[in-house]
Amino acid sequence: MAKKLLEAKDISKYYRLGALGSRSFKEDLRDWWTGRNTRFKETESESPQHIWALQNVNFEVTQGEVLGLIGKNGAGKSTLLKIISRITLPTTGRICGNGRIASLLEVGTGFHGELTGRENIYLNGHIMGMKKKEIERKFDEIIDFSGVSRFLDTPVKRYSSGMYVRLAFAVAAHLDPEILIIDEVLAVGDAEFQMKCLDKIKSISREDGKTILFVSHNIQTLRNTCNRALVLDKGRIIASGDSESVLAGYMHKSGEQFLGTDYTLQTVMPGNEMIRMRKVELIPGYLNDSRVIDVRTELRIEFEFEYDVEEPGQILALLQVYNDSGELIFELSSQNYHLRRGIVRGESLIPGNFLNDGLYYVSIAIVRNSVVRLFYLESCLSFHVEDYKNSRDGYGKWAGVVRPAFPISLRQEPE
Amino acid sequence: MEKKAEWQWEISAQRPWFRFNLRELFQYKDLLFRFVRRDIIASYQQTILGPVWVFLQPLFTTFVYFVIFHRVAKLSTDGIPPLLFYLPGIIIWSYYADCISTTMNTFQYNAYIFNKVYFPRLIVPLSSVLFHSFRISIQLLLFLVVCLFYFVKGTPIYLNLQLLLIPFLILLTACFALGCGLIISVLTAKYRDLDNIMQFLLRLFMFAAPVVYPASLIPQKYAIFFWLNPLTPIIEIFRSSILKPHPLPLGYLLLSVLTTGIILMTGVILFNKREIQIMDVI
Repeated sequence: MAKKLLEAKDISKYYRLGALGSRSFKEDLRDWWTGRNTRFKETESESPQHIWALQNVNFEVTQGEVLGLIGKNGAGKSTLLKIISRITLPTTGRICGNGRIASLLEVGTGFHGELTGRENIYLNGHIMGMKKKEIERKFDEIIDFSGVSRFLDTPVKRYSSGMYVRLAFAVAAHLDPEILIIDEVLAVGDAEFQMKCLDKIKSISREDGKTILFVSHNIQTLRNTCNRALVLDKGRIIASGDSESVLAGYMHKSGEQFLGTDYTLQTVMPGNEMIRMRKVELIPGYLNDSRVIDVRTELRIEFEFEYDVEEPGQILALLQVYNDSGELIFELSSQNYHLRRGIVRGESLIPGNFLNDGLYYVSIAIVRNSVVRLFYLESCLSFHVEDYKNSRDGYGKWAGVVRPAFPISLRQEPE
Repeated sequence: MEKKAEWQWEISAQRPWFRFNLRELFQYKDLLFRFVRRDIIASYQQTILGPVWVFLQPLFTTFVYFVIFHRVAKLSTDGIPPLLFYLPGIIIWSYYADCISTTMNTFQYNAYIFNKVYFPRLIVPLSSVLFHSFRISIQLLLFLVVCLFYFVKGTPIYLNLQLLLIPFLILLTACFALGCGLIISVLTAKYRDLDNIMQFLLRLFMFAAPVVYPASLIPQKYAIFFWLNPLTPIIEIFRSSILKPHPLPLGYLLLSVLTTGIILMTGVILFNKREIQIMDVI
């Protein structure tokens, strides 16, 4: 049996909400006076002022596995990571572990704008727990990976955000811990670099046999990288096991239909210097009031992005539809358009009677001059197509990836 | 049930009072010096005079004090040339004040790092003190140059063996400032009211040390309180190191060492106990 590297027992975390001020001071005084411990009030249930961010979380991590952690916002993922990374203490419970832990809750922690790229590699490396010799040994590799060798002696405050992130991730990718903890830090940089990062993470786990704890919203990414997964919901682990079944279950259970977002309402719109996604939306043409997408439902996909490239060129949009197990079902490509900078709207239509029942997700890519991928937004939509049976259909699941309603007829030949 | 020995480390809800992991601190020494280096580089970035400011600050202050306290207020300098009188006090005091005002804000200034990655938090205040030590060593050179200048000029000063005590005096100041800074940083983390009070107290505290006046000016009946301040013997001994050899206030120096030791211990223990819990309220 593989060696256990980490074991969490009964981890709970209790937070007091609200601003700290004279009121909380009064509470503190009262607690102190009555001899109660503020950090631990088991009897008090959740009130608007208090919250259990984690409750009785138990899990283990064995050597060489890549454990994915998924859950909605506020499910306690980040709190758990912070406790494991020794940034905050659990209210109850304990975590035991072997070996060095490096946490990437952010790339480029401690980067100082006034310092050069070279200085920052050392600074960041040391903060992450690397020794001087270690950094010196890997220095060339780091520079190579980051691709900013020309700017090594420029203060990083003059870097573009892309260069900054590259350099930061390059340092992180060369950490050499027994356990690597990664929060969703990969949603940065351009598509090419994101792929590079994911590949690096895969190679860290597969070739170097490193243990990784990976947190993401992105089911597709987790599916590709993890072999075991945990689902957190309201501070509790509600499912754990091999990643395929856990993640599929998570999507089905939470109905994880994701019919679109208006990114303009978020603090950061996904994208890069050239493309900023503003909106992605799936509009089902519901057939009746039940508002269920079934195999007959027509699906309209609308998206909107800001395009910011000065030189003339042509762009096209690429839609990819994947199924539950990560297979690419089909890919749609628009024709090439000559577009100026500004807001661009796109739309597409998946007709009814085409997809079989199941879970699907959609990724969008914007491609320039037919070959340069400007931006790739992975799994930005997901939807569940329900089965629909009418009287003549029989029982059981329809086989096949698609379920078109092409006519098929039988005819009695004259004898 | 596994045996405890199976695990290399453990995180649990409570931190013991006396858990001081010196070995871990030592493992992070590279980070310590990198922080010092960062501060040195960053503080003189985009300045034309650069490190020259390290000299200019005490010189300007000396000039101002000379005008206000010597010329206008007519405070005695114990017969020492004013420049040589004010410089030691200003050097020690500004070192103390700089150290304390950076270390007391350790949590607020570094929350963005502390929230993302673990390392022994003590590294940060230690690095601030080291950074200011770099500055004070340059200022000491300035002091020696000024001494030599007066010496050559023929002013009756004596460069006696007491000068060798100066590094020790600086170490003592550093420990005292670090101790105070750590205690205040823990106390002010949750409720920042104390922070405002501290700024004010720090300014007042300067006048409780013989920075702008000699210790001999203090009336005998208050002298004992005055000498309880660890900074008093430090500044007085520093200042008298260029005078004719005379008996040192060794008793007070010992008292200063003792007080500093207690404050530093308290600070380190308190800081170690609270460093992680504070992250929930910062």
